[in-house]
Amino acid sequence: MSMSDRVGSAPKKRHKALEAQAEEAQRTIDELRARDALKTQFLSNVSHDLRTPLAAIITHAEILRDGMLGELNQKQRDSVAGIVNGGQQLIDMIDEILTYVRSASDQVILARSDFNITELVDQVRSLNQPLAAKKHLTIERLNGDDLPPVYADRDKVKHVLGNLIGNAIKFTSDGGRIWIGFSRRGREREQLVVEVGDTGRGIARDHYELVFREFAQVDASPSRPHHGTGLGLAIARNLVELHSGTIWVESELGKGSRFFFTLPLNPARD
Amino acid sequence: MPARILIVEDSPLVTDAFRVLFTAVGYEVDSAATVAEAIEQATSAPVDMMLLDLSLPDGNGLEILKVLRKRGSLPRSTLAMTGHNDLASRRSCLEAGCADVLLKPVPIAELLRQIEHHLA
Repeated sequence: MSMSDRVGSAPKKRHKALEAQAEEAQRTIDELRARDALKTQFLSNVSHDLRTPLAAIITHAEILRDGMLGELNQKQRDSVAGIVNGGQQLIDMIDEILTYVRSASDQVILARSDFNITELVDQVRSLNQPLAAKKHLTIERLNGDDLPPVYADRDKVKHVLGNLIGNAIKFTSDGGRIWIGFSRRGREREQLVVEVGDTGRGIARDHYELVFREFAQVDASPSRPHHGTGLGLAIARNLVELHSGTIWVESELGKGSRFFFTLPLNPARD
Repeated sequence: MPARILIVEDSPLVTDAFRVLFTAVGYEVDSAATVAEAIEQATSAPVDMMLLDLSLPDGNGLEILKVLRKRGSLPRSTLAMTGHNDLASRRSCLEAGCADVLLKPVPIAELLRQIEHHLA
């Protein structure tokens, strides 16, 4: 074998080895994707199958609670009402998982239309008012009376607002403040920035990214004071990103958090 | 004569719960767990209100309305019930002739109000 043959064969071998490695890596990626899709489908099926018997339990409990099979005394009524409330909470959690699964696996089709964002914010505020009142929290809207319509999927934006305001209520102590404000950005001010702020316990800078990850709670211990699926912010992120928007948080421990997300405005209607 | 309600639902647990509820308020109740059973039930005697689950073992619940319309045996009113509230499925229910679409589980007070309203 000549000197030049030996020099030429070494890079060829390396090239082949690299090709084999790339093929192997691609196979692994494909396999992981397939497994992830399977897990998503499984989660979706289980959630759906859990929902049906729970719906039956809730209906039976409501029939008893409302005295349709005979009057109950106050203690019996309270106890059965506990079954209805607990069941409803479980349904809400299952729905949260289903929404997450759909939003994470591109199963969501956006139904975009022009709508008034301030009206929607006021609607979500009033839906959350009873929960906030229990902790003597105020929920204010700071501005937004003169905004052009937002061009987005109204139900999905309502879900994002509901999750952010719900979180603010959960993590703000009695007597605190929650607010929703708007600003505009972009060359033609074509993007709306929605802010949901609170005077709650805040998030450490190291955890800014973590809070948007699925199943993540900054305090994940079994004794943590706030339970939930840990999917609320992951869903909010997915739904905002489906609108090609971004979501982020600015916060200071002990002082509160400000969550922001962007939505496309319809400047033609400005 | 009491109004006749046909529950079209493939979960016996949910059907039983509705049967208890509607019997308690005085409706006449029948049930079907498949598209084929529902068509048979609705053609055998007039139905005042059909409560329709959309996903059935042998097809989509809306198929029932198509067949019954052809046979001239449509119920007086139909309420669709679905586990997820998306705009597309809501639209197809209304286009198929449902009076409204309810999100499961429907609180019973709301369900009874809707039935009463659509039977009035």
